[in-house]
Amino acid sequence: MQDFKNNLRKRGRVFLFFLILALLLGGVSWKVGQTAADHEEWVHYRNKSALLLRKEPKDTIDVLILGDSLSYTAFSPMQMWNKHGIAAFVGGQSGQNIQESYYMLKTAFENQKPRLVLLETNVIFRPQRGNSGLTMTLAAMGSYYFPIFTHHDIWKSVLTDKQYPEENYKGFQFREVTDPYRGGAYMKETSQKEKISSTVEDYLEKIRMLCVKNQAELVLISTPSPANYNYKKHNTLEEYARQKGLKYEDLNLKEEELRIDWERDSLDKGDHLNLSGAWKVTDFIGTYLHENFDLPDRREDEAYASWNELGKKYEERAKEKLEAMKKDDKITGEEVDNRRERSLPVYE
Amino acid sequence: MSYHNSVYLFLFLPAVLLAYQLTPRKRRWILLLFAGYFFFWTISGKLVLYLIGTTFFTHYIGLWLDLLKTGCKEKGEKEKKLEKGREKAVRTQYRKKERLVLALGVCTLLGALACLKYYNFFAQNANLILEHAGQRGIFQVKTLLLPVGISFYTLQAISYMADVYWEKIRPQRHLGKLALFLGFFPQIMEGPISMYGQTGEALWKGEDLRGENLSAGCARILWGLFKKMIIADRLYVLVTAVFEHYQDYNGSIVAFAAIAYTLQLYMEFSGCMDIVIGSGRLFGVTLPENFCRPFASENAAQFWRRWHITLGTWLKTYVFYPLSVSRMVKKWNRFGKKHLGKYFTRLGATALCLFPVWLCNGLWHGASWNYIFYGMYYFVILLAGSALEPARDQMIRVFGINQNALYWKIPRILKTWVIIFVGELFFRANGLKAGMTMFFSIFKDFRLNTLWDGTFLGFGLDKGDYMVIFGGILLVSAAGIIKERNLLNGKGLQDMKTPFRWAVYYGLILAVLIFGAYGIGYQQVDLIYAGF
Amino acid sequence: MEKIIEILRDIDDSIEWEKEQGLIDRRLLDSFGVISLVSELEDSFMVEIEAGEMVPENFNSVEAIYEMIQRLQEK
Repeated sequence: MQDFKNNLRKRGRVFLFFLILALLLGGVSWKVGQTAADHEEWVHYRNKSALLLRKEPKDTIDVLILGDSLSYTAFSPMQMWNKHGIAAFVGGQSGQNIQESYYMLKTAFENQKPRLVLLETNVIFRPQRGNSGLTMTLAAMGSYYFPIFTHHDIWKSVLTDKQYPEENYKGFQFREVTDPYRGGAYMKETSQKEKISSTVEDYLEKIRMLCVKNQAELVLISTPSPANYNYKKHNTLEEYARQKGLKYEDLNLKEEELRIDWERDSLDKGDHLNLSGAWKVTDFIGTYLHENFDLPDRREDEAYASWNELGKKYEERAKEKLEAMKKDDKITGEEVDNRRERSLPVYE
Repeated sequence: MSYHNSVYLFLFLPAVLLAYQLTPRKRRWILLLFAGYFFFWTISGKLVLYLIGTTFFTHYIGLWLDLLKTGCKEKGEKEKKLEKGREKAVRTQYRKKERLVLALGVCTLLGALACLKYYNFFAQNANLILEHAGQRGIFQVKTLLLPVGISFYTLQAISYMADVYWEKIRPQRHLGKLALFLGFFPQIMEGPISMYGQTGEALWKGEDLRGENLSAGCARILWGLFKKMIIADRLYVLVTAVFEHYQDYNGSIVAFAAIAYTLQLYMEFSGCMDIVIGSGRLFGVTLPENFCRPFASENAAQFWRRWHITLGTWLKTYVFYPLSVSRMVKKWNRFGKKHLGKYFTRLGATALCLFPVWLCNGLWHGASWNYIFYGMYYFVILLAGSALEPARDQMIRVFGINQNALYWKIPRILKTWVIIFVGELFFRANGLKAGMTMFFSIFKDFRLNTLWDGTFLGFGLDKGDYMVIFGGILLVSAAGIIKERNLLNGKGLQDMKTPFRWAVYYGLILAVLIFGAYGIGYQQVDLIYAGF
Repeated sequence: MEKIIEILRDIDDSIEWEKEQGLIDRRLLDSFGVISLVSELEDSFMVEIEAGEMVPENFNSVEAIYEMIQRLQEK
């Protein structure tokens, strides 16, 4: 009996310990999340898209774009807005892995009802062998459920006012540096296929199911990027899309329709697109979405007044920057480095 | 997988613990062994066969030695019955055989280690010599895949064979027991290097998990994470920046980086040991300690009894002592007694025994001239310490110095720090040449003002990072001083009142979560000693 | 016993060797001291001390050393 009582007391203590711990973690996590939401400028560039997505008013986003840096260097929501009235948002992150794409999607569905989800396909080919995949899964899951993992570094901003300023247009930023790609044609036809890691396949399926559940259509898109795409990947994606009945657009095969000029449109030797490249891709994709999907034009909707304002600002700034880029008014020296650093964070 | 990453801490370790508790006691060793091989496999893949091969081989040598020993006893007794005294001849005869078997065992294991670890070093240097002589280099430099922890389990295997030979332990007939001794997962990557007598049997017992072990183990793991994630992984950024581009920096920054590296290495290696020893503790296994507040050492000899202790002990037991009773040293002693006098005889014997120890120490870390230099550096310093000992004793006597007084201790500790920092500078440098350049730049180009003119904010660390590093080091030092000066009268955290203890746990967990160098803006830093 | 103490005194005459029980554990004899001691013991008692005997338990006190010598002489 004594033993039993002791045992019970021991268990009670263990329970109490973990209860207090859970409360403590929950409390700190909540506080950190709040602080981040209140101080956008304290949030790291990579975490901004999820934070801003959460802040968008309920049920206003119609198109959600997911992916790694290729997504937010190619698609500009405000340009689609100005032309077609499509309300899109880029939930991309530099180096986003597919687990993070999944949790970004979950974040979106918390508050939004997007009809269309565009997945930039480069996330599918990020290697995730064995442990690395498991580590990424744990990290993405932890960050989603406990904001403290995502924003733990915010103490630096609180104590030393470290800031991460950014001109953000629904997930898109201006990248005005040009570094041409001169490697020539890169989509050489072949019947070979690229392999997909099994973890990736699992999460791709999870993303698909989540879209089905929330009545959103999933579309796969490959943006033009000689450094990241080839025909092997094209074959893999096309087969996957066919099997699952998804739409797949490979813009790497549409260079001519897009009128991509690798002398002018590349940010960093054929890896990412700069503003001029993004302009062309967005122009094409905006029309594609407008013609193929039944998306509402929200420009007259009063709830979207702030979009119209932002659209105007975007138009002016973008034109200005595009003009400067066209004039070959190249920025030099340190300025290039500074901008590039801001354009593509180091952990890419 | 690695001890500091989430897969180990949140998946692997809990899964093994759970499975361990669910397995019947008699079968638990199988589970631990399987976990060890799985862990090994996640890092080195098929190379786990090396470990398994080493295990079979070591087991076989142990049995062979055992066979000879029983044979010797039986035959000795027979001979003894025939004529007293004849058993001695039998013993000598068998001893010779045993020695050959031991030599076979040790040489095979060392040979395998040498082939994998030192072949390229040998090839490169041999080519250099050949080219110098006007010929073409004939040795190809190959990329050889090194199984993780080979430097650690090889030493354990050798110690097992030697201990059997010396009859310190009985040879282990059960292959599984020996396999577990060589492949216990917490020890695989970075040691501690244990002797069979220390962990062999404890691993086998399969004790039930107990509350106090679990809480003490977890606390130890947390403390290790604190050191590694908050301090070491931040210092890594600074250290890498300076050591990889040392030409760009002046002497004061190089000196600072040497200190930073020493701290990084300590926080990382001892932090990892905390995780390892804590992991062992969870299963009720006490692994040998590898660190004992090395920065409180008063001289280099003491430092090496407090830093990477298990390597020092291994070298002392299996290199230093065998040498000190070897024929060579005995001859020297006899010669010295006749011709040289006590002081020089002793100094000579010391040099003879110490030189190989420090050569081994240097080489063990890797095949590179800066590691060899590192070993020789400590050889010279320890020998000098030994040579100056009489003079020091004389001084203490003449001036009536109280050896426990702080005015005597603190300058000695500071002097030892300088020795340590310089040693680690060469240890970390990219090659001996770089080490030399860095070392001399300290004297040539020392500009103190670079320490506060903002240069330091250019290394990838910001003000906040330096604050956290400083605070973390302060906390670790405080804990060290409390233990070193025994301020709590031998009591530990486990003896404290519950509220205080819990507060410490919560504090550590939150500190690691908030201030840990993980996630965006930080890199995962691999364990340094796992590369040796 | 006497002979052992004599040898020890020769190494260091400021220690009361008979009374100490932790020569190694308390570092009154360091590893270099042990080397000189071993070579003296071997010469005086005509025994061979193997590296395997070099454990603290064998050198912690005069009695322990004495026991080890006796054991080795019997061999």
